[in-house]
Amino acid sequence: MEIRAIGCEPLQLKRVHMKDGHTIKVYRDTGGYLSLKKALTMTPADIIEEVKASALRGRGGAGFPTGMKWSFVPKDSPKEKYVVCNADESEPGSFKDRYLMERDPHSMIEGMIIAAYALGSSTGYIYTRGEYKYLIDIMDVALAEAREAGMLGKNIFGSEFSCDIHTHTGAGAYICGEETALLSSLEGYRGHPRMKPPFPAIEGLYASPTIVNNCETFTSIPQIIEMGGIPWRDLGTEKSGGTKLWSISGHVKKPGVYELPMGYADMEKFIMEDCGGMLRDDKKLKAVIPGGSSVYIMNAGQILGKNVTLDYEGLVAAGSMLGTGGMMVMDETVDVMDTTKNLTEFYKHESCGWCTPCREGTDWLVKIFDRIASGGGRPEDAQLMLDICDNIEGKSFCPLGDAAAWPIQSAIKQVPDDFKKWLHAKTDIYASNV
Amino acid sequence: MAAATPTSYTDKIVKTDEVAEFSPEIIDEMNMHVAKYPLERKRSALIPLLMLVQRERGWIDNPGVNFLARFLDLEVTDVWETATFYSMFNLRPVGRHHIQICKTLSCRIMGEPDITEHVCSRLGIHPGETTADGKFTVSMVECLGSCGTAPMMQIGFDYHEDLTIDKNDKRRDHQRTL
Amino acid sequence: MERLAPSTRRNTWLRYPVLRLLRRRRRNGTEVEAEKGATLIDVCRENENNIPAFCYYKDLAVQASCRMCLVRIDKMPKLQTSCTIKVTDGMAVTTASPEIEKAQRAMGEFLLVNHPLDCPVCDRGGECELQEVIFDWGDVEERFTERKNVAPEKYLSTIVANDPQRCILCKRCTRVCDEWMGEDAIEAGNRGSNTVIGTYGGWLDCSQCGNCIEVCPTGTLLDGVYRHETRPWELEQTISTDTYSSDGMQLSIGSRGGAVHRIVARDRYVNGLNGEFLDVKARFAHEFINHPTRLKTPMIRYTKGGKLIPATWDAAIQFVSDKLADYGSSVGVIASPRLTNESVFTLKRFATEVVKSNNFAVSDRFDISSVFDNLSVPLATHKDIRNAATILLIGGEPEEEQTYTAKQIRQAVRNGGAKLIVVNDTPIRLIAQASQFIHVNKNSYDAFALVLSDSATDDLAKKLGIELSEIETLSKTLGETEGDLIIMIGGDLPVEAQAAIASAAANYGSDKHSVSLLPLVPYNNSVGANDMADGKKSVLDVINGSKALLIGGSISEQPGTGISPQLLQNKEFVVVQELFETETTQYADVVFPAASFAEVDGTYTNNTGFVQRVRKAIDPIHQTKPDWMITSMIAKEMGVDFGYNLSTTAVFKAIADGVPAYAGLRYPDLKDESRPVQVKHKIGGSSNNAIDTLNTRVGSLPDNGEKNNVTPKVGHKLHRLTTMTSKTAQFHLLAHGNPKPENLLVAPLQQFELDGSPKQNLAEAVGAGDRSNPGGR
Ligand SMILES: Cc1cc2nc3c(=O)[nH]c(=O)nc-3n(C[C@H](O)[C@H](O)[C@H](O)COP(=O)(O)O)c2cc1C
Ligand code: SF4
Ligand code: FES
Repeated sequence: MEIRAIGCEPLQLKRVHMKDGHTIKVYRDTGGYLSLKKALTMTPADIIEEVKASALRGRGGAGFPTGMKWSFVPKDSPKEKYVVCNADESEPGSFKDRYLMERDPHSMIEGMIIAAYALGSSTGYIYTRGEYKYLIDIMDVALAEAREAGMLGKNIFGSEFSCDIHTHTGAGAYICGEETALLSSLEGYRGHPRMKPPFPAIEGLYASPTIVNNCETFTSIPQIIEMGGIPWRDLGTEKSGGTKLWSISGHVKKPGVYELPMGYADMEKFIMEDCGGMLRDDKKLKAVIPGGSSVYIMNAGQILGKNVTLDYEGLVAAGSMLGTGGMMVMDETVDVMDTTKNLTEFYKHESCGWCTPCREGTDWLVKIFDRIASGGGRPEDAQLMLDICDNIEGKSFCPLGDAAAWPIQSAIKQVPDDFKKWLHAKTDIYASNV
Repeated sequence: MAAATPTSYTDKIVKTDEVAEFSPEIIDEMNMHVAKYPLERKRSALIPLLMLVQRERGWIDNPGVNFLARFLDLEVTDVWETATFYSMFNLRPVGRHHIQICKTLSCRIMGEPDITEHVCSRLGIHPGETTADGKFTVSMVECLGSCGTAPMMQIGFDYHEDLTIDKNDKRRDHQRTL
Repeated sequence: MERLAPSTRRNTWLRYPVLRLLRRRRRNGTEVEAEKGATLIDVCRENENNIPAFCYYKDLAVQASCRMCLVRIDKMPKLQTSCTIKVTDGMAVTTASPEIEKAQRAMGEFLLVNHPLDCPVCDRGGECELQEVIFDWGDVEERFTERKNVAPEKYLSTIVANDPQRCILCKRCTRVCDEWMGEDAIEAGNRGSNTVIGTYGGWLDCSQCGNCIEVCPTGTLLDGVYRHETRPWELEQTISTDTYSSDGMQLSIGSRGGAVHRIVARDRYVNGLNGEFLDVKARFAHEFINHPTRLKTPMIRYTKGGKLIPATWDAAIQFVSDKLADYGSSVGVIASPRLTNESVFTLKRFATEVVKSNNFAVSDRFDISSVFDNLSVPLATHKDIRNAATILLIGGEPEEEQTYTAKQIRQAVRNGGAKLIVVNDTPIRLIAQASQFIHVNKNSYDAFALVLSDSATDDLAKKLGIELSEIETLSKTLGETEGDLIIMIGGDLPVEAQAAIASAAANYGSDKHSVSLLPLVPYNNSVGANDMADGKKSVLDVINGSKALLIGGSISEQPGTGISPQLLQNKEFVVVQELFETETTQYADVVFPAASFAEVDGTYTNNTGFVQRVRKAIDPIHQTKPDWMITSMIAKEMGVDFGYNLSTTAVFKAIADGVPAYAGLRYPDLKDESRPVQVKHKIGGSSNNAIDTLNTRVGSLPDNGEKNNVTPKVGHKLHRLTTMTSKTAQFHLLAHGNPKPENLLVAPLQQFELDGSPKQNLAEAVGAGDRSNPGGR
């Protein structure tokens, strides 16, 4: 597996190949915690301004501008404020946060401390999925090191500012990556999403103002403080600043985690050259899911020769989304009906069961897929599935419902032949005006 | 994954008053978790503590649930509602080695079906079952964040990645002797 | 989405913050005014735009999970759930359009995916909300052709049956359990489409209030007592008042063919003070009404120690009137506080007008006249409790005795931010909601009454076994209250303490808050019986001071007071009007069979002073008659005609004419449950001379008294077997700790003897075994 930067200096990946890069010693020797020191000389408002200027968009999937999110936190609230790192990483196809935490835990911790300072918070939690037990152990060691070195605890760097960070484990629930479900889980409840508004920035953990950000979002913060917001933004594009980690898996020669500047051109080059091309040279590219399972599937025709740039806008223009940047590449041996079935089973398994459309809809869809896979497909199933997806999309309580609908909707439209075969259909399988 | 427990199973749990006991070291470890959260928010520690109970007792058994309910001032049903939500909690006993094979997309297209077939036929069980000697349980789980090194499985908490059938055999033979 | 043609579009424009709702017709919509901060779904419903919804339930935490209540709001992306939206000025809302109908039908379709279409055999069929919504649409095509997830029907407790397949996971039950009852007994387990409602171990240990059954929109949670008896639409619904608790909860008696089959509080039938709330006794303990052991005919015991021999009404009335005439003014009359106002009043009249004696008593557990004689503030209503700012609960255990009051307290604290201060010698369960718990010594309520009447001293604190600072905290909370203060007096307080608190209450009012009082009396008509019986004596005095007795209801043993049915042993002639043979009837020379509350018309007055109607649901069974009728028949035979002409209205008119607090009331005025009438108890003019007694008694209290430290078990009073509750077989199992049967698929009563011991081998014989559950759920 490859881990490297292409088209830019490694920023996020600066330390991943260093010996003992996960220790505070190496971290400090390579400039670590200097950003924190610098941040403590700035005012919280300046930090937020800097983050706004960087055009950093949340790396957890939704791509919400981080600076803007931070500015929603009420300054004068008497309640305790919380900073929570979303290290739940359960999106199929995404595995970048794992390597960041494994090999460079301190940069995430530093990012969280800076955020805590900027938001006036003194407590942070790192919510990690339970399966990443070994990472929690690494984080616990790193936190202890930071405490020992005076980076956490009372009067950090001799300033007035005090802050501590703890780890917290999940226990196997994709939905707990959704920020409000994460908070329910952090409070010891079932991981059901909560109603928004109030947004977590106003009423989050323990009904106090809370910021939830992805791991990679936090690791970007020290760089932004170090370089300044504008220079950092200029690594990427005007609207999507900085660099971004991509997780690549499936049928490529060199799967792995790659750091690319935002706006990297183009997707075809990335898959065919940077990642070594197709795993088996004689097999052609069939489809790609570019941003983790919760985005639209693209067929080869949407990528090859289309100059798709790798940033939020570029992928939307190409008919999909950036999501978490978990790219799954499929060659022509893959049956997209089976792919879609597999993902639908995932969403059914992970649906929290709170709302009707997602709970019952995914259950129904999986039953249809089971029937199709055992040879019982009917031509009208395509239309039926599209209609079920339409009834889930936009009506579910949280975006998981939408995420369950998108792969099916796109697969039927982009790769209809794989469905025709299973549905024993001779003509078009869906009304094209839907 | 200890997949969601069917109703009929939970119904069969005979609720007793037996309360699990833990060594002072474990209690210390539990208190360390509780200390992370504000005093009146002890419930926050429920999931980490369920993990500990599972580590110590192999699964979330009735005395363990009773213990947590007391330790965190909750109703047993509160512990139950949380424990049954999360797929990592075993609500019934599992084998000493819990083999969890990832079945999600990347692993699937990179050869998961062959691995599963192989593991199951060597152990002589189906996914979701435990071998008669109680040593192995095989479960199918959703994405574990190893897509780049697919196919993969997790045994206990250890990741085993870039699996091939041959590699898998060696590992299993080694464990047989444990 | 396509734009909608104006003709099919119904728009609602909203404006606030006017309190009045104004409606004006617009060309293609209605403009309405709504209260600021109102929830959209409520506003729409009040304005005849019915929006289907399952998870929304007024005054419970918003859940927004059924996604049924979708509407289109101008300038908002996507359809929005109207249960989560607060109205704002100028909001334009479309509540019905093809787009909305498609979405709502889609949700209905999803809910039916795994819902068995077994309405013909479902106990809820006919009053199921899901069924109603789907039938309202009509023309529903079923596109789901796969296998439904299955799960067997089973029992969750002795009286709660459960068909998990029918569940639509609206979670009203879990919210009600948590927010109304504070019990958290029922929760959701598993996740996704495997989610089930249940408990750890599959057995529900709680007070068994059955409110989860009541609020369930489908046939998932079922009344295990009523199960499979009739179809709901075959029942005649009669609105009446609970015959157990002094809260006076409104309920609906479902009867058919002269038998009562079930009792519910469903909103659609009752719009009373308690909404859909009832407790375990009100809801399930109604089997006594049609019980085979009910007294059927009058009976006479011709020789002391002999047997009761059935007689005709004529003979028995004749016999009794002859005898009582002989005893004249040495006849004593005792009325039970369970009887209707009409019956108590008539018994009282019998004493004063027929036998011309003032030997009259009410067999209540304590004498509540002391509270009413010393009333310095008005009585609180249950609505007041829900909206109170501070509640001071002294003694009592409302969660076991006045369950609706307890629910209002919990909601006031949870949803209304009220402060609850509990003063008790026992850590009752309600302290979980309390902001302060003053744990006093046993038998020291007298001292607390002195603290409230006068001021706290070190000495009193010592007698109470508390720190003086606890009283200071209390005074501070009371002083800072902004809003209503409600003082509740438990029935376990000594009479003098109650009197002192009742008269001191007024001192705690200020310009920032008003004060009201709630006496937590034990019986359904304690207050009414007290009102009817002005000038009454104690039960002991009456028994001791008379040779013959006419008793309405029974006298129960009251430990510590010397009151016991055995006192009747030496009386020369005893007449009892009763439903069942009891210890009291053992000493009776004549027993008259009385009609139960379901067979009579009349009124009860609850602990908040509301006079509410009791309505006849079925004809008196066998030869029974209402108590007042029996008494007036004897009176007539003895030459005094009360002029009732067998009409309840006439009795009530006599009450209105004879009891000052009821002056001016007329029976028909009481017909609307949603607008209860509060009687006018006299306030002020206190005659409190209890302080001296209190001082003496407190003086002799030890300084190092004991406390009860054990929190009483749920149901220790509610599940007690009494003459009435013991007639519902399931109560025997409850009283024996609600044992979990071996086989949840088989009714517990088929697996247990009434004493809770397992029936040998039968459970297996009738068991269906565990039908496997391949689809989860
Ligand atoms: C179903 C679902 C799953 C999600 N899973 C994750 C996750 O595993 N990790 C993550 O960082 N964000 C996840 N998110 C996104 C979070 O809700 C949230 O947007 C994010 O943590 C915010 O951080 P950011 O602004 O740094 O992206 C998920 C969202 C949804 C709807
Ligand atoms: S869409 Fe609904 S059921 Fe699905 S995960 Fe979100 S809240 Fe839960
Ligand atoms: S009533 Fe609004 S979502 Fe259920």
